[in-house]
Amino acid sequence: MREVYVIGVGLHPFGRFGEKDVIEIGREAVVAALADAGIAWRKIEAAYCGTVFAGPMAGNKALARVGLTGLPIMNLENACASGGSALRLAYQDVASGFRDVALAFGFEKMPRGFIAGNPNDWFAAMGLAVNPQYFALNARWHMANYGVTEDHLVKVSVKNHRNGALNPFAMYRKVMSYDEIASSPMVNDPLRLLMLCAPNEGGAAVILASEEIARQCATKLIRLAAVVLKSPLYGTAEVPYISVSARVEAPSVTRTAAEEAYAAAGVGPGDLDLVELQDTDSAAEIIYSEELGLCERGDGARLLDEGATEINGRIPINASGGLLSKGEPLGASALGQVAEIVWQLRGEAGARQVGDARVGMTHVYGALGNCAVSILQC
Amino acid sequence: MKKQRPIKEGLFEIRAEGPRLVGSRCRECGEVTFPANPFCPQCCRETTETIQLSGRGALYSFTIQRFKPPPPFRGSEPFAPYGVGMIELPEGVRVTSALEESDPERLRVGMEMELLITKFFEDDEGIDVLSFKFKPAAAPAQLADSVAQ
Repeated sequence: MREVYVIGVGLHPFGRFGEKDVIEIGREAVVAALADAGIAWRKIEAAYCGTVFAGPMAGNKALARVGLTGLPIMNLENACASGGSALRLAYQDVASGFRDVALAFGFEKMPRGFIAGNPNDWFAAMGLAVNPQYFALNARWHMANYGVTEDHLVKVSVKNHRNGALNPFAMYRKVMSYDEIASSPMVNDPLRLLMLCAPNEGGAAVILASEEIARQCATKLIRLAAVVLKSPLYGTAEVPYISVSARVEAPSVTRTAAEEAYAAAGVGPGDLDLVELQDTDSAAEIIYSEELGLCERGDGARLLDEGATEINGRIPINASGGLLSKGEPLGASALGQVAEIVWQLRGEAGARQVGDARVGMTHVYGALGNCAVSILQC
Repeated sequence: MKKQRPIKEGLFEIRAEGPRLVGSRCRECGEVTFPANPFCPQCCRETTETIQLSGRGALYSFTIQRFKPPPPFRGSEPFAPYGVGMIELPEGVRVTSALEESDPERLRVGMEMELLITKFFEDDEGIDVLSFKFKPAAAPAQLADSVAQ
């Protein structure tokens, strides 16, 4: 296996863009990544497109507007991990030596409101297939067992909105006060509206290349040290769950994906300088900080209380504003995290720059426990 | 009597001793799943037998559904908030269920819950569609402590 480098990243901002065509959102992200890498479109040897809502052949439609070069294009849907899955495939191409340059991209224009259930599911008809319910069940359990309080849930959202106000690609780009969040409408107790991320629109693209190609590019060398895609083991509770074993407690998919990524990259949690993780809700940031090994189980709230997760803290979490401020265009989300880490490692993150960042992690978690984790190093 | 049907066949039975959810237990590893399923997801083989699950269990976690879920949600109009919980049953399985109680102040992790079968909505042909729910049990039980810890 060869080492794999990120030579270019590009985003279309995350937000709501009226009548704008979703295919155009995807095209703009790809063009931005090509410009960032300073590489000609004809040099891209394969493309992997992750999207859930953009429809059949969405990747081909977007790339037809970049140019018809005959490259293979793969369209894939993997819920919140769609972009991470595209990245994994592009990584495999380059790491194996099968190709020298590969593109992973994703884009969305999601329906407004909460994501609908499968029409054939009896439990969706019963009102038991709404994602925030499961986020809330996880949150309540954590509160009952590990001393997480409503105050912590508010503080996560305050932090991420404060960070996101510094990010031109974020949806809200607005500081939200403690009171504003704490008094927003209750959606699924204990989670309030401003403690939940919004489905939205956006695009992201990442270009990977071999070391030889990467050294010809003007951008700083950033190595994709690992990208792992996992599904869950038996005995874990994944969104949405009808029943879960109370006898078998397997490590969560976030934990197993992180452990595999650490092993592949040859680093540990203590080596990380920043993390972008799946804060679909405030409690999720606390829970995943534990499952990614950033602290012991049950210590996530303390990490927050200590200020460790702030941009100037020991282990900044979601310096970009996270999903809470950026929103979550499913197919673009993981690749947007990768773009943020790349900018941070290059020192190009502007007002939200993390000092002396050398190693960063991304993490997405989707329906039925699809999980993708990556580690980037400079 | 008005016609009735379950929201899905095979989810629950109404027995002389009370309502019961129907699950399955693996003859090899003993793991229990709901709803009943011929396939054991741990052994990855068709090794299960159908069993009745206990009508009582402990509340493992809960939330209140405060907005009307998107389609295909059914349910009586106008929409009223409802509880959602995970109930840990003595067979070693936690089941996600609607709760009859919708006041979070009256719910706590670890409390004992009991199953009931109720009318969920009336379908287009005027038939009452039945589904299951859990409600706080009348009397406390020892089971409650094992989950709270």
